[in-house]
Amino acid sequence: MSEEKKEKIKVIDARGSFCPGPLMELIRAIKESEVGDIIEVWSTDQGSQRDIPMWAEKAGHEFLGVIHEQGYDRIRVRKKK
Amino acid sequence: MPRKIVVVGGGTGGTIVANNLAYRLYSEIVNGKVEITVVDPSAYHVYQPAWLLIPFRIMHQNEAIRPERSLLAETVKFRQEKAKRIDLNNRVVETDSAKLQYDFLVIATGAQPDYSQIPGLEKAGYDFYTFDNSLKLREALGRFSGGKLVTVVAGIPFKCPPAPIEFVFLADSYFSRLGVRDKIELSYVYPLPRPFTIQGVAEEVGKLMEQKKINMNLLFNVESIDPEKKEIRSLEGETLKYDLAVIVPPHTGADVVRNSGIADKGGWIPTDKYTLNVKGYDDAYAIGDATDLPVSKAGSAADFEAAVVATNIHDQLKGLAPSMRYNGRVMCFMTTAIGEATMLLFDYDHPPVPPPPNFACYWYKLVYNRMYWTITAKGLLPGFGV
Repeated sequence: MSEEKKEKIKVIDARGSFCPGPLMELIRAIKESEVGDIIEVWSTDQGSQRDIPMWAEKAGHEFLGVIHEQGYDRIRVRKKK
Repeated sequence: MPRKIVVVGGGTGGTIVANNLAYRLYSEIVNGKVEITVVDPSAYHVYQPAWLLIPFRIMHQNEAIRPERSLLAETVKFRQEKAKRIDLNNRVVETDSAKLQYDFLVIATGAQPDYSQIPGLEKAGYDFYTFDNSLKLREALGRFSGGKLVTVVAGIPFKCPPAPIEFVFLADSYFSRLGVRDKIELSYVYPLPRPFTIQGVAEEVGKLMEQKKINMNLLFNVESIDPEKKEIRSLEGETLKYDLAVIVPPHTGADVVRNSGIADKGGWIPTDKYTLNVKGYDDAYAIGDATDLPVSKAGSAADFEAAVVATNIHDQLKGLAPSMRYNGRVMCFMTTAIGEATMLLFDYDHPPVPPPPNFACYWYKLVYNRMYWTITAKGLLPGFGV
């Protein structure tokens, strides 16, 4: 029987911030986080869906996906190093 | 008692808004019904676009500075004092020697480089984001005859978003003219996956970089700099070696707004994007680089915003509803070579469609300096065409 591990998710509300605000907020949050932490960026900027996965791949972090909400996206990245 | 308008900051936005209000309210001022005061610790007004051009000897430093008093209308009071605290609830600006009550406030305190955000940055290299540093960079370029010259953006937002692109394009021309371009490797290093925030402009810039054989290193976010080893390390795990580094420093808002509890965590003032009111205060406005607006931190934005604020304060003093809204208009001439520039003209709803690089835009960019001192800063054509 496995016990579901509760993961630490840090939410960054960057709604209303324009390119490249949400990516810059994510980078700031990653710097302040522990390896394994999940950062969830809330963004109303369409460019975030493209920029954040590209940055995560180059920086060696794990892009976990996008959850579309009404009027904004929740974009998740796990800090890997 | 006169109605009091206090303008904190005597840069582009503050000077234009004060002068334009003085023009509109001349009779009220001379009759003692209105008083306009500009507060700034510096006696001098600097034409900051010159900082990019001075290193290449395209503009001389003498063209970049004038006494602030000589630009302000005679009817505007100038207090050469440092604003220390702004109390929006009690309508008071506290300076290092006075407490100034206001009926209307304009915060135009600008943006400033913050070298402390990146270890090693202060000793690492050169930049064109202060007057002194622009002059030092001119000397460094004069001595540089070969090796790796990197132009690095170390934080967004910063003043004049096209400036680092212009710098690397001008460097290409400058060293070509000196006959040493083939001895110099030029690189442009930027935090995003494209060389500029706006997609359409980024595509054109990318093509020009390729034509001019300028390396682009994208998605590079500076973590630290080792000035001894001449290495820049990124958050993404890369190390970049250089012989001469020109680094755009991270920027933040003025101390007075950060110390007054007005600013967000980046140091910028939460500002209504249309009315330009400090959010929550209909008697306080913010303009120029100091705001958190989704537009370039650029003198033209401050100019267009000053027109809106001057009109609306004038309306409010007359008992009318504010009649102008800011539409996000920004206009700038982006140099693509010595002798060539394009134009970026855009607003909240219309992205820029830059024309092919041409001499006319370049000529206008240089001539504009003279128009700035004689027309723009005097508030005579505020936000022309806004």
